[in-house]
Amino acid sequence: MVKLFNLQQLLLINKYALRDFLRSYKKLWVITTTLFISLLLLSLTFSVKQALNDEIQANSKELLGGDIQVNSGIEPLPVNILEELSSLGEISSAVELATMVSKKGQSPVFTEIRAVDGNYPLYGEIETIPEGVGEKLFLSAQKPTVLINESIQKLLQVKTGEDVVIMGKSFEVAGIVTSVPDLQNSAVFGEFAIISKTSYDQFELSSGGSFLDYEYRLKFNNPNEGGEQAKLVESIVAYDNTIETLLPNDSSQSLSRVIDNFSNFLNLVSVSAMIIAGIGISNTLLSFVNQSNTSIAVKKSIGFSSQFIQLMYFYEIILILIVTSIIAYLIGVFSPLLANDLLPKSLDIDLQPTLSLIGYLNIFFIGLLVVLIFSIPSLYSIKDIKAVALFRNTFQPASLNFSLKNIALLTFLIVILSTYFVLQTEQKFYTVLYFVAFFITILIFYGVSKLLIAILRRSYRFSNNGYRIAYRNIVAKKSLAPIMTISLGIGLTLLLTLSFVSNNLKKEISDSIPSMAPDLFFVSIDKDIKGDLESFITSMDPNVELEFSPMASASFVSLNGTPIEEIVSQNNRSAWVVRGDRRISWSEKPKEDNPIVEGEWWESGNEDEMFISMDSRAAFDLGMKINDKITLNILGRDVTGIVKNFREVDYRDISVNFAIIINKAFANKLPYEYIGTLKSELSADDILSSVVERFPNVSAIKVDRILSQVSGVLNKIFIAVTGISLIVIIIGLIVIVSAVMVQTTFRRYNNLIYKILGVDFPTILKAMTMEFAIIYFTLIFFALSVAVIGSYLIVENTLQLTWQFDFDLTLWILLSTAIVSFILILMANRSIFSPKVYPLIRNE
Amino acid sequence: MSTAIQFNNVSLNYGSEDGLVRVLKSVNFSVNSDEIVSIVGPSGSGKTSIIMLAAGLEMASEGSIKINSQEIVGLRENDLSDVRKKNIGIVFQSFYLIPNLTAVENVLLSLEANQKYNRDEEAKSLLGEFGLSHRINHLPSELSGGEQQRVAIARALINKPKIILADEPTGNLDSANSESMMDLLFEYTKKSKTSLVMVTHDDSVARRCDRIIEIKDGQIV
Ligand SMILES: Nc1ncnc2c1ncn2[C@@H]1O[C@H](COP(=O)(O)OP(=O)(O)OP(=O)(O)O)[C@@H](O)[C@H]1O
Ligand SMILES: [Mg+2]
Repeated sequence: MVKLFNLQQLLLINKYALRDFLRSYKKLWVITTTLFISLLLLSLTFSVKQALNDEIQANSKELLGGDIQVNSGIEPLPVNILEELSSLGEISSAVELATMVSKKGQSPVFTEIRAVDGNYPLYGEIETIPEGVGEKLFLSAQKPTVLINESIQKLLQVKTGEDVVIMGKSFEVAGIVTSVPDLQNSAVFGEFAIISKTSYDQFELSSGGSFLDYEYRLKFNNPNEGGEQAKLVESIVAYDNTIETLLPNDSSQSLSRVIDNFSNFLNLVSVSAMIIAGIGISNTLLSFVNQSNTSIAVKKSIGFSSQFIQLMYFYEIILILIVTSIIAYLIGVFSPLLANDLLPKSLDIDLQPTLSLIGYLNIFFIGLLVVLIFSIPSLYSIKDIKAVALFRNTFQPASLNFSLKNIALLTFLIVILSTYFVLQTEQKFYTVLYFVAFFITILIFYGVSKLLIAILRRSYRFSNNGYRIAYRNIVAKKSLAPIMTISLGIGLTLLLTLSFVSNNLKKEISDSIPSMAPDLFFVSIDKDIKGDLESFITSMDPNVELEFSPMASASFVSLNGTPIEEIVSQNNRSAWVVRGDRRISWSEKPKEDNPIVEGEWWESGNEDEMFISMDSRAAFDLGMKINDKITLNILGRDVTGIVKNFREVDYRDISVNFAIIINKAFANKLPYEYIGTLKSELSADDILSSVVERFPNVSAIKVDRILSQVSGVLNKIFIAVTGISLIVIIIGLIVIVSAVMVQTTFRRYNNLIYKILGVDFPTILKAMTMEFAIIYFTLIFFALSVAVIGSYLIVENTLQLTWQFDFDLTLWILLSTAIVSFILILMANRSIFSPKVYPLIRNE
Repeated sequence: MSTAIQFNNVSLNYGSEDGLVRVLKSVNFSVNSDEIVSIVGPSGSGKTSIIMLAAGLEMASEGSIKINSQEIVGLRENDLSDVRKKNIGIVFQSFYLIPNLTAVENVLLSLEANQKYNRDEEAKSLLGEFGLSHRINHLPSELSGGEQQRVAIARALINKPKIILADEPTGNLDSANSESMMDLLFEYTKKSKTSLVMVTHDDSVARRCDRIIEIKDGQIV
């Protein structure tokens, strides 16, 4: 196309387009606003994600707390190794443990405690209230001190200067930690405290083995040779393969992955918004072409080619795209500054805006593809406007041009757009799935509008005046039905689907889980006190449901001799089973609530061989078969066992569940501890207080506390997600309003004729209501069906929960959307009610 | 003197639901390069159709049409655009100025279509000759019917086309206005040796032309 034009002509196109734009920009407001909002959404998600990842990258050393971290598990590193390490740089050693923090009169709190030495932190700073009380930990004062986080302070209602008890020892609260550089989950969402390593050693504090971890962080003397230094460290600790080393990248990667996944989801929603905006672009452009039909015909009669005119209008849209995308990009880039204020302080995140050409081009490119896809059929309608119309004074309205060539071009562009997104994300499968579902939904709603029109045409025609008018409007050539079903339909489907999913999740957490779940979850109980603990609790409540399981730590090494990292990708749904330390258990007989789905349980009493029972889902995901050989590292020793059976494990009840269970006879040789659950009619707080007082080393998690933390986080995520799907609906409404406004001249004329024919105003209003109701009810039916099927698949398959329908929620969403849409449509239509319609007759 | 328009056995048919509509039946005529010709005939006889064919806006069903010796039957749309902008100026009954362009911008349009840029002075002086120097920057909605038609004629003439096609150019004007309009057109075509083909219902206008082609039922009589 372009080869037909020389520079002079391109300049002319530029001049015409600018002139036309300046004189008729009001007609293009829909293109401008919808394009802007959807580009802004896209730009915001890109920028915030970029800024978060930059921040994580920039602070990866702070996040790790050193240039390298060495974890030696429940045993400290030997002194000679520590000496070797200290030749490379400064060491900060710490112990992580999980135990109870209590105060008289309050229910004890399960807390992650970090015992640190005077070198901590090597990078970044601890922030406290009052400021600088971190130092106090290391004063060899008469009383040991502790820094607690805000959450503990609230739960225990304790003030600075008061005492709390940790494992039977009294600590004075020196202050509140508001943030630590090496970000911890528990520091942000849960309960977290810091004591000094000296107090830890002095009081011989020790929680159960599986919750104890010795950590050493190093700051190299020569940070420039970090790579070689890190290799040295690895070689120093290579003698024991249970010792883990972590580099700054390792800690930042997992965080980045979470951010990426979430932002990918937001990107998909933004692109959906943009596609709906595209429908508006297509519609506005077509009506713009139709309004300009004489100008186009005159230009053709003078000798301008169709291509020239198409290019001129296209250029106008590109100008709009450039301007809106630049503004959207700039707002997006600077949005992290705003996000800083919204993020929790304890994250200690300071996001920085970064301008980059690539970042802008990314958004522009996506915008360009969407604009191309949706403007091609409208622009090609220019071909159908013939100059001969000028001789006959009649203009046929042009309609979207779907020639074979255009359809091929559109398919190609849509494939590019989808591929562009798929290539950018780790979750390729889900992204493809989303696009397929999305385009199928568009087709469904397009089909629905056609179906509605076809059915109305055939149906019995009521003689009611209002219905007749509504009927005419729906089956008319310029009917609102297709555009309304598609744009409102998709928005509504998205909103309903997301609400159904989130509602089901919330219900699960607030209703289903608590009724099944135990009240307390005992972690790491020394096998020597298990008996005492059991009788102590039973004496408090004879009807208590107590269940203890033995437990040891193990890590997955290989499957049939192949190292597990080579088999299982990080995106595998069951990667968690083979990553890091797993707690394994054993039993003589299969558990009742873990039915065996494949293989056989083992004979008892084979103490030299290890038999393994696997969670069936994990086994499927990891590609295991019965009689496969699995090598586990148990307490530093590699042991190979045979897979004997697969069990169906339901993790939802939060009872004690293990992905891996081995035979008891073999396990008897292992050192172990117990894990247990408690369900009682008595108050869990009271039981916990008495237990912790009597057994200072026992730790227990209150299940309702975890659930409220999880639902708190979920709530925030879902508010964000619902907000975003609302934007999709808003864009849909703008598109509909614009479609309505495009029609008003035509409708005004019709309504005027109805008036002349004696149809009164209430009837016209009734007709409009009926028209809306007919379209909306058809739309609801399909939106609801798609949302129910979609959310059912997500809830049952991906989340593995039981899907439930919530009638109130559905009604609420449908009703509020209906009311808002109808009011907007009435407002957009208001000019047809105005009494000044009579001059129209003269103009027509 | 050469032949500007040459119709040889031209037929025009429209296919419609109840069969073929034969609008023109084997029409033959030619127009010389400095000739003023009027086409007259009853309503529906095919006058406008002839103009559209000559302008290359409609495709003949049969026969050959030559514009300045170039065959235009069978050309593609883009080539027809080319022939049109190089040779032909059109004046419509209903003026058809572009509503959001001023008088001078409407006139400039046909220069620019021919890749003649920055010729504002030329356009203004032509509008001046047509007595519109005080209306140059007005939008069509701010002009009277006669003024609009004069702008439309200026738009057709500015490019010095070799052929002017006009379909009832005075149809929407009162007699005084149409008189002065005709003066303008005749004066210009004589002066620049341009051929003019004009459809009209007005006998007095037709009589002023060099030749009258009368058409009836799609055939020249
Ligand atoms: N697209 C079409 N399909 C079928 N018939 C058509 C079409 N366009 C024009 N006609 C017919 O062609 C015939 C000639 O039309 P044309 O416009 O050339 O007449 P005219 O001589 O200009 O009439 P008038 O003086 O009323 O303007 C008419 O009978 C008309 O009905
Ligand atoms: Mg005619």
